[in-house]
Amino acid sequence: MTNNGSPDAVEIERIVDAPLTLVWQMWTDPEHFRAWYGPDGATIPVATMDVRVGGTRLVCMEVQTPNGPMRMWFTGEYREVIENERLVYTESMSDENGRVSSPSDMGMPAGHPMTTEVRVELRDIGGRTKMVLTHLGIPHDSPGAAGWAMALDKLTAYLAAYRDRRRLRRP
Amino acid sequence: MTATIDEDRLSETFAALANSTRRAILARLAEGGATVNELAEPFEMTLPAISKHIKVLERAGLVVRGQRAQYRPCALDPAPLEEVSTWAERYRPIWEARFDRMDDYLKQLRATTKGRQGR
Repeated sequence: MTNNGSPDAVEIERIVDAPLTLVWQMWTDPEHFRAWYGPDGATIPVATMDVRVGGTRLVCMEVQTPNGPMRMWFTGEYREVIENERLVYTESMSDENGRVSSPSDMGMPAGHPMTTEVRVELRDIGGRTKMVLTHLGIPHDSPGAAGWAMALDKLTAYLAAYRDRRRLRRP
Repeated sequence: MTATIDEDRLSETFAALANSTRRAILARLAEGGATVNELAEPFEMTLPAISKHIKVLERAGLVVRGQRAQYRPCALDPAPLEEVSTWAERYRPIWEARFDRMDDYLKQLRATTKGRQGR
């Protein structure tokens, strides 16, 4: 597990066999993005991206169901854009106009947090690209982010100790 | 994606965590149990306001209150945090699959470019 132990984040590190600039385009050029982003069995019929800080994105995912195609929309805002290096955006479920909706409105599990944050960090390693993705359940640059990071560190340590205790209790 | 955890409770956990005062309260409780008065100390807030935050944390199952009528000390219950971590882990296979497709797509792109250059 590459997760750094944070209870609300998934972190994945990959070496991508392509130059930095091309991997950056995979995330920021809608045509490239649509080619790989859809989960298995899903397509991305629409992807609009205004890739600059404060710019919005709107992505449509179409899944085939026994009752015909089902479309889900996701909107978000770019928080950090450092070309070929770092991309941070938020993601919320929305309607086709980008109006944020609650996950239960969309027939999705209620447990899905309202807004998540996706971070992509890229680094050139001799013509290939190291890509680190972090998907956070709570955007960390929301107000009080410093406090959040500190609180999270403490909670993470506490959680680790709690898991150890529970493991010890088992025969 | 199969849900093996209580989704309503999970969204309550996220809602409870999405507030800096409540996170600070949890961080304080990670160091040990405390009374409402003790928890209120570092904040410029009234006791009822702090109590409200603690109630939200209680409803989310993150805080349990002792039964002693006078003090009812608060303690942290990390179990819901584990469920949050389960949420995050459900995303891992989705992203892994996406990145596999990114690899395939990049291979296709390379093949097309090479083909064009060879002509």
